[in-house]
Amino acid sequence: MRPAGRAESDSLYFDYPHFPFVRPPELDGATPRHRVAIVGAGPVGVTAALELARHGIDCVVLDDKATVNDGSRAICLSRHSLEILQQLGVDRRFVAKGLGWTRGRTYFRDREIYRFEMPHSDQERFLPMVNLQQQYIEQFLIERAMESERVELRWQSAVSGVTQDAEGVTLTVSTPEGDYALTCDYLLAADGARSLVRKALDLTLHGEAYEGRYVIADVRLKSDFPTERRAFFHSAALPEATILVHRQPDDIWRIDYQLGPDEDPDEAVQEARIRDRVERIIREVMQERGDWELEWWSLYKAHTLALDDYRHGRVLFIGDSAHLVPIFGVRGLNNGLADAVNAGWKLAWVLQGRAPERLLDSYTPERRGATLDVFANAGKSTRFMTPPTRGHRRMRDAALALALHNDYASPFADPRQVTPYTYAESPLTLADRDAFAAGPRPGAPLINRRLGDDDFLLDHLGTGFNLLLFGEASPELAAALGEYPELAVLHLGVEDSALGQPLPGDAALFAAYGAEPGSAYLVRPDRHLAARWKRPTAADLNDALITALGGA
Amino acid sequence: MTASTLPFDDLERVYERLAETLDALPEAQEGPFLAQLALALAHRIPDVSQVEAAIFEARRASEEEG
Repeated sequence: MRPAGRAESDSLYFDYPHFPFVRPPELDGATPRHRVAIVGAGPVGVTAALELARHGIDCVVLDDKATVNDGSRAICLSRHSLEILQQLGVDRRFVAKGLGWTRGRTYFRDREIYRFEMPHSDQERFLPMVNLQQQYIEQFLIERAMESERVELRWQSAVSGVTQDAEGVTLTVSTPEGDYALTCDYLLAADGARSLVRKALDLTLHGEAYEGRYVIADVRLKSDFPTERRAFFHSAALPEATILVHRQPDDIWRIDYQLGPDEDPDEAVQEARIRDRVERIIREVMQERGDWELEWWSLYKAHTLALDDYRHGRVLFIGDSAHLVPIFGVRGLNNGLADAVNAGWKLAWVLQGRAPERLLDSYTPERRGATLDVFANAGKSTRFMTPPTRGHRRMRDAALALALHNDYASPFADPRQVTPYTYAESPLTLADRDAFAAGPRPGAPLINRRLGDDDFLLDHLGTGFNLLLFGEASPELAAALGEYPELAVLHLGVEDSALGQPLPGDAALFAAYGAEPGSAYLVRPDRHLAARWKRPTAADLNDALITALGGA
Repeated sequence: MTASTLPFDDLERVYERLAETLDALPEAQEGPFLAQLALALAHRIPDVSQVEAAIFEARRASEEEG
């Protein structure tokens, strides 16, 4: 919502683009067959489109709007997400515009009781978190998609019906110039919390809605306070409310505050009420004296809701259409991007005949598994931020009070920020046969390592599957690698290589991966580890590749 | 410090379990229950100075809260 007198796209800092309607061939009687259609041009939908394009698959993206999102909404991108954006070739704009951060503070009764520092080192290209308004996230992705010959964006195109059979999916699309039918092999539903595709297939989300309701409000304010996450409990100004404060680019500050259990949400979002609360928070909680302007606000409810199955035949649900998670820990957008990439590379491999269709069966266990893991962590965060019962409130306040002077109670105030999920139980992942003292375990994403000035291990990944080869390979494996021309070999710790890209690799790099000369890591297109070995044979590699593509 | 302490994961489980137990009691029983729990826990700690330190920490936190 915006202040009275300002339109939805009338922002203090952001120029909303206008995307015109372009008449598609279907309206003139043509019936092109699309490989993949994506409903929803939000960050998740467009990321899926770019991932498909990266693997050589054309797609069409449909969105009912003529511009990007009305408000800042999801503002925290995790390192894992930035590594996704790097693979899509768009990371530089995000890093240049976004505000990176590593730290946070927790306050209880207006006293700082805890500071946290997220894991970071000079081995990483990206900071653990980057704050950027969702409009920018969408704009940067959309502008990249517009440059791609493989992505067709269709604006002002609302999907009003979905049917599927064994051959494909048919959408009914409503436009300013009439309705048409669009057919495709597969459909990705990235149409958000109120997904029309979900409704059309008569599917419902299951789980629970927590009690807590939050107002999220953006203000423009000049302040020197660094980019950190701040959480306030029992502040004298609003003792019943938990308050979160984040900095965003363009002097925009995100203020989230909890509503009381008896507060009427319709009244709470009235502009006068918002202004009154925000003024008190800025003056008394944040201790700021400067002028501020109200930019945008919205109401938020904490949910843990998900579909039982993320794939229904030729339709895959990605992002909020598949799951709604609480805001605490910034998991909504970041998990949506991981959904998009997971679905994207698998669809590409199936459509190109490089993997059997059953590869898609792994989408639900991997990504719903990630959602359930989010629920477990976000549930704890939510119960701490917004205690649902008298007992939880009593324990929460006890932990905070003890944390003032006792470090052992401080971790209760830890925000449990998003961490990438490990597909350890996935049918695509091979469990370790060899003992490794370090390194990402099977199913986990690769860890980055610095190779030089502005040069990191992940910069060198190829588009498809990758093999990290540490030192000299056995002659038997080396001879077999020629049979996998599409496998990118990153040959670490060698000056020259006949097998792939020679890359530096010192003892510290080998140690970080628990590797010995001859060790190897097989990496999927989404950077998650399929298998690793100390001394692999050609047969080991072949078996792992078959398993990682859905099994024989 | 030589005394061993409860790992944080277990402390979290205690937190959740206590929240549920408090919810199951009438509000008026909260105080007596917590006092009984403190005695039962103290009985299991062989070093009285540890118990006294815990009493000090809790008292200090209560004063901050009040």
